[in-house]
Amino acid sequence: MTITIALQLLIAGLSVGSIYALVALALVIPFKASSILNFAQGELVTVGAYAALVLTALALPYWVVLPVTILIGFVVGLFIERAMIRRIMAAPEFTLVIATFAIGLIIKSAIRLYWQDNLFTIDNPLPFGSFRVAGVVLNPQYLWVIFCTTMLVVCLAWFFKFNPLGKAMRAVSQSQEAARLMGVSVERVLMISWGISSAIGALGGILLAPIIGINPEVGHLVLKALVAAVIGGFTSLPGAVVGGLLLGLIETYSGAFFGSTAKNILPFVVLVVFLLVRPYGLFGRAPLVRI
Amino acid sequence: MIKKLVGLGLASIAAMLFASTASAQGVTKDEILIGGFGPITGPAAYIGLGGRDGLTMAIKEINAAGGVNGRKFRLIFEDDGHSPTRALGAVKKLIDQDKVFMIFCAAGSNATVGTIDYIKAQQRVMYVSFASAPAVTFPFSSYLFRGATTEVPRYGELYSEFIAEGLKAKKVAVMNGREEYPKNEGNALATALKDVYKVDVAARAEFNIGDKDFTPQLLAVKNSGAEVVAFFGNPAEAAIAMRQARELGLKQKFFVGATMVDKSFTLAAKENAEGATGFSLIPFLPGTPNPTLQAWEAKWKKEYPNLPVGRPNVFDVMAYTDMYVLAEAIKRAGPDLNTKSLIAGLEQIKNFSSSPLAAPITFTNKHHIGNLTLTVMEVKGGNWQPVGWKPSRPSEILKRYE
Amino acid sequence: MKQNQQTVWMILALLIAAGIAPWVLPTYYLYLLNLILINIILALGLNVLTGNSGQISLCHSSFMAIGAYTYTLLNNHSQLPMLLCVLVAVLLASVGGILVGYPARRLSGIYLALATLAFLSLTQILIEEFPDLTGGIRGLKIEPSEFLGWSMGNETMLFYIVAIACGFCLYITANMMRSRIGRAFDAIRTSPHAAQALGIQVAQVKLVAFTISAAYAGLAGALFSMVVGFIDPVEFGVSASLRYITFIVVGGMGSIAGSVIGAVVFTGLPEALRGIKEYGDLVYSAILLLSLIFMPNGLVGLLRARKSKPNASTVGH
Repeated sequence: MTITIALQLLIAGLSVGSIYALVALALVIPFKASSILNFAQGELVTVGAYAALVLTALALPYWVVLPVTILIGFVVGLFIERAMIRRIMAAPEFTLVIATFAIGLIIKSAIRLYWQDNLFTIDNPLPFGSFRVAGVVLNPQYLWVIFCTTMLVVCLAWFFKFNPLGKAMRAVSQSQEAARLMGVSVERVLMISWGISSAIGALGGILLAPIIGINPEVGHLVLKALVAAVIGGFTSLPGAVVGGLLLGLIETYSGAFFGSTAKNILPFVVLVVFLLVRPYGLFGRAPLVRI
Repeated sequence: MIKKLVGLGLASIAAMLFASTASAQGVTKDEILIGGFGPITGPAAYIGLGGRDGLTMAIKEINAAGGVNGRKFRLIFEDDGHSPTRALGAVKKLIDQDKVFMIFCAAGSNATVGTIDYIKAQQRVMYVSFASAPAVTFPFSSYLFRGATTEVPRYGELYSEFIAEGLKAKKVAVMNGREEYPKNEGNALATALKDVYKVDVAARAEFNIGDKDFTPQLLAVKNSGAEVVAFFGNPAEAAIAMRQARELGLKQKFFVGATMVDKSFTLAAKENAEGATGFSLIPFLPGTPNPTLQAWEAKWKKEYPNLPVGRPNVFDVMAYTDMYVLAEAIKRAGPDLNTKSLIAGLEQIKNFSSSPLAAPITFTNKHHIGNLTLTVMEVKGGNWQPVGWKPSRPSEILKRYE
Repeated sequence: MKQNQQTVWMILALLIAAGIAPWVLPTYYLYLLNLILINIILALGLNVLTGNSGQISLCHSSFMAIGAYTYTLLNNHSQLPMLLCVLVAVLLASVGGILVGYPARRLSGIYLALATLAFLSLTQILIEEFPDLTGGIRGLKIEPSEFLGWSMGNETMLFYIVAIACGFCLYITANMMRSRIGRAFDAIRTSPHAAQALGIQVAQVKLVAFTISAAYAGLAGALFSMVVGFIDPVEFGVSASLRYITFIVVGGMGSIAGSVIGAVVFTGLPEALRGIKEYGDLVYSAILLLSLIFMPNGLVGLLRARKSKPNASTVGH
């Protein structure tokens, strides 16, 4: 294996990993705020992708489509929390899990009814195509994804640390009772945290659309994102990103060295190992309730 | 006393005979009841919806022209959600509850195979339009017929002949997904290339369906020195793979599997698809600038004005043309219509094609493989266009049925 | 007393109905009834784990897959009698339960959910990786075989086998819940800490719950193979697991009646939705969501609430 090939694989792994990282981020945020694992997150990515499709078809330029898509995602998240999740907040864990699955299925079925399983795509938003550096090919779209993900993590870190609403979200994630006693409107905070995670999902959708296409099964990514979130730690935002990138690298290199079977199995083996040995991931802090 | 009993006995026998010939299940004096099934929900919905709608439109036209032998068709179509369990349930309902005369199968392979035993036990005819699973026609059963879709081994025969003799490639790389269908296509091609045409398969690479990155495989292909890359998978993977291939500097021509010879592939892969070749099940893909096809599409759009992008698709066309084959067979079966006469009528079909949109269908009493022809196409100007290459080798498949 | 008499009459009625069903029902309805009974077994098993013991599991369909594939392979390739094939299927599925339950006994909540999801994905992949053995994604046909001299395709006999198996599971579940292990399940669902404090070995009980639940699923898998005659990995994927969870969440968790009601309703629902054609998926998931929002204790909870209206004279002074 030459250096060039190894480097190319590195780029490929980081590129795929950035995709996982983005969706993992969107999983970790509502979990941090409300301990809810949102299995509909994949479909929220799909919503973003289709929103971008529709907006682009209206001949709007990319720099308009991007923020509007994010906004649509935000609104959808608010709606889901307010109309559906809020009513079952008090229910046992599995009810919430199944409810998010059901919501995901509703979204997917509705999308499928109108657009069927046709594969759509939107154009490369960047004005330049792939280029070579030292014999290695770089696709700027992946760089754009990595850039956006990094900016996102920076913004979110700032938000949670300095913004009053962000601080309120952290308070709610630590203890809803205490936060309420401190005058925080827990309901509003939860609603906004769903909006934010849904917006991130939508961002993922539009960023990924030119790379992997648009069809109702885009949401399948959520499984890989879950593995990434476990690796990184469900309570850590940078952890989600690191987890995603690591997963991408593991997949790519194992595929190159051991074939596609290994590539298929390895993510789940890694998941199991982490769950057994280090369930809160590389960077997560909250300890597990152990019996 | 004895006379009475004998009389009663004769009358019952006569009644039974009369019943078995005149009132075959699903056939009345003026109606033939057909049961159809296929996936209309779930990820494979585009298959069943195309099947149902193509079938329905053909039936409407045939009925408007007076039906066949004075009888009109009525269709009951059930969903199978692409699951063998539900397909079996659908078929049981259609045959047992709705009392249909025969079954038109617009389902995928697994769902179809799940129903075969029951159909044979019930002694009903099932006409399979899309499923390519070998179990439908081999071992031979007089009740099962395959229409527009061709046999899996035929793909291997045609692909290898085209790549070896049409494209004149001496070194070929084969990339396939690890699902059954693309894997079969890949294996069939590799075997035929090596054994029959002595062409070097310089690289074999596999990928998982759902993969988003093909760098390792494409690098292996690039270094193999192959002139043609044969790619078998789904349009989603093909689009990504072909884009990455161009980025990584691969200059080879791509040859793609049957599922990618479709508008969705050209829409998704855009300029990266240019120059790709593949085989199509029907002579003209929806969207091709051919007058007969365009007239048909206009008719279809009038019938179904509110349908989404991507329809009509290949399944609409195949189900539509297959219904006409069925109608022709029923005409030949004559006024005394039952399962046996239907089988006889179908086996009389030889090189029948109801329009230029349909590949010619042939059945004999030794085999029920309707279609052995596929049309070579190339992506030109963003669309799949027929290329005009025709195979010259006869197929080995029919030898199995001698 | 009256409750017991009612139950006895109900059981008697069910037995008679089961007895005459294959002679009275048309093929299609008998097929559906078989599927319902199999789903009841699945729901009962899942309830032991999730409803009674409070462990969330997304891999119930994997245990079913182990049972189904084991039965099918033994049936197709060995001369073992049918009952033995079923027994081995149940045993192997239980081993699967131990495989998941042992490492998972210290996990809970979403981490447990994810661990079961990993097991599910791994079994799916393994089924598809060895197509020469399992038929891969192409699926596997169950070859015709015999039992007690009758063909396994005989629908009447098939129904009796399934009905007896289902009755057996109902009986076992009822007894289990009344026994010590059943109370242990209840305890660890209510409060694992309190249970531990009371001397219940929570980790061990969790393991037992997993194993028992997997055994039920394995039995259901074997019966499924018999009834449908063709299996493929898609039947045992994530959507299948979710469906079984739906049975108990909407039917009523932790209760036998809930398992039965949930299985009946959600097996019957797709059939009733046949008329809605391509909107089926959408309507199904919408109904599920609405049930979760407006009937959090399931249908059984709803019925129980109706039955026991508060007695005014006991409230307040």
